[in-house]
Amino acid sequence: MFDIAPDHAIGLYTGLLALPFALLALRLRRSARTVPGTVLGASALMAVAGAIHLGLVWTHRDETITALLFVLNGVSYIVLSQFYTWRWWRPASVALITMTILGYLGYIVLNFDSPDQVAVATKLLELATLGLVLVPVRGETKRRRSRWSALGVALPLLTLVTVSVVWIDDLARPDALHVHAGAVLQATSDVATPEQVAAAQKLYDQTAAAIAPYRDWHAAWAAGYRPGPQNTPSTHWMNQRYVDAGYVMDPKHPQGLVYANSKHGPVLLGAMFQMKQIGQFGPDPGGPLTAWHQHQNICLTPFGFEFSLMTPTATCAIGAIDISVPPMLHVWIVDNPGGKFAVDIDPKVVKQIDQS
Amino acid sequence: MLLLMQSIFWTIAGISSAPFALGGEAFMAGLALASMLFALGTCLCAIGLLWRRRWARTVVIALEVTCLLGSAVQLLLPIGFNRGLVSVLVNMAVPVAVLVLLRRGRELFS
Repeated sequence: MFDIAPDHAIGLYTGLLALPFALLALRLRRSARTVPGTVLGASALMAVAGAIHLGLVWTHRDETITALLFVLNGVSYIVLSQFYTWRWWRPASVALITMTILGYLGYIVLNFDSPDQVAVATKLLELATLGLVLVPVRGETKRRRSRWSALGVALPLLTLVTVSVVWIDDLARPDALHVHAGAVLQATSDVATPEQVAAAQKLYDQTAAAIAPYRDWHAAWAAGYRPGPQNTPSTHWMNQRYVDAGYVMDPKHPQGLVYANSKHGPVLLGAMFQMKQIGQFGPDPGGPLTAWHQHQNICLTPFGFEFSLMTPTATCAIGAIDISVPPMLHVWIVDNPGGKFAVDIDPKVVKQIDQS
Repeated sequence: MLLLMQSIFWTIAGISSAPFALGGEAFMAGLALASMLFALGTCLCAIGLLWRRRWARTVVIALEVTCLLGSAVQLLLPIGFNRGLVSVLVNMAVPVAVLVLLRRGRELFS
């Protein structure tokens, strides 16, 4: 959802290319001088949306129905963008935009396509166009009230439905590199070779031995590890000195330790290696077994150090900021059903430790 | 219309934070509520602009400048702020568009 699909990039280029031509067309037409600004704005945006859809025809030429729909949609948008003085322009535009948005949502629900940045941006463009089409123009007395009502209901409702469907689809059907919301896995081979299995086991053994003294949290404290917020079942204890030093997957200097917050006090669950830079994945000697992960597009609030997820419209709640955390690799020394290097510790394991 | 869209975006951000509050993140509940109140305030400012109220113009300009500055700071800081197409459109292009539309016509507001 936060990437640009390679087959959609061309739509972005054609859309950007169409904008100056759309503005030029408005400037050259004499009738444009008598038309309100909102109508001209809608005309320009419709031309851009049309160009995006037409641009996508080339990369979808193997999918006959999709390509045909793109052609129909693109041509309709471009024709309507030039017929803004037509009596039925508004109803026709509202119908086309609404059908396009709902059609796209149907497409992603049926898993014919996955939402990406070009698609979400195009939907926002279409929603803005819908708003401009519905806004009553200056001097218009007829149907003014109904137009405002339509704008006040249709735009929020359609935006809410669009964002919800896109988000739910993205969360429900993540791609292979998205292990869970916000966590992106390092790209590796699909199957580990015997050498990679041995290397992963070696890393595990070395790390487990090196962090064994930290089963006593006092030793971790003495070594410079400090706990994060402890209002969750488990807590990451970070060693800022090791983070700043930039050790790369050094079993003797893991940047973090993970403790279960049990009723008996902190219980060591494992270690965490962390890289210094966002986007800089570490070495993966175990191939798919030791794939690093990076948490991105998460909304962090300094109040209580809490997280939520960024919406598809790239917005966080007021008071939270969008951040990404540099790549990390966990090594779990307790029996974790997800694996020794899994992204997360199974909550059942933490619960079991707490109740033991 | 752009303000209405911004207000919808903040409403969605507020609603989406609520499940985290239910999951035990107490402060997120406050932020969810604050976001929804903020969205409501933005919507009221949009109505104020339609009624040509000068206070609404002032508040909206202040709001958009704050949004732009906030986004610019986050873009410049190495915190991994999303630099995607949608983020640029929503966090930069929309505030700029609102400011451009409000730059003239001060005399129209009372």
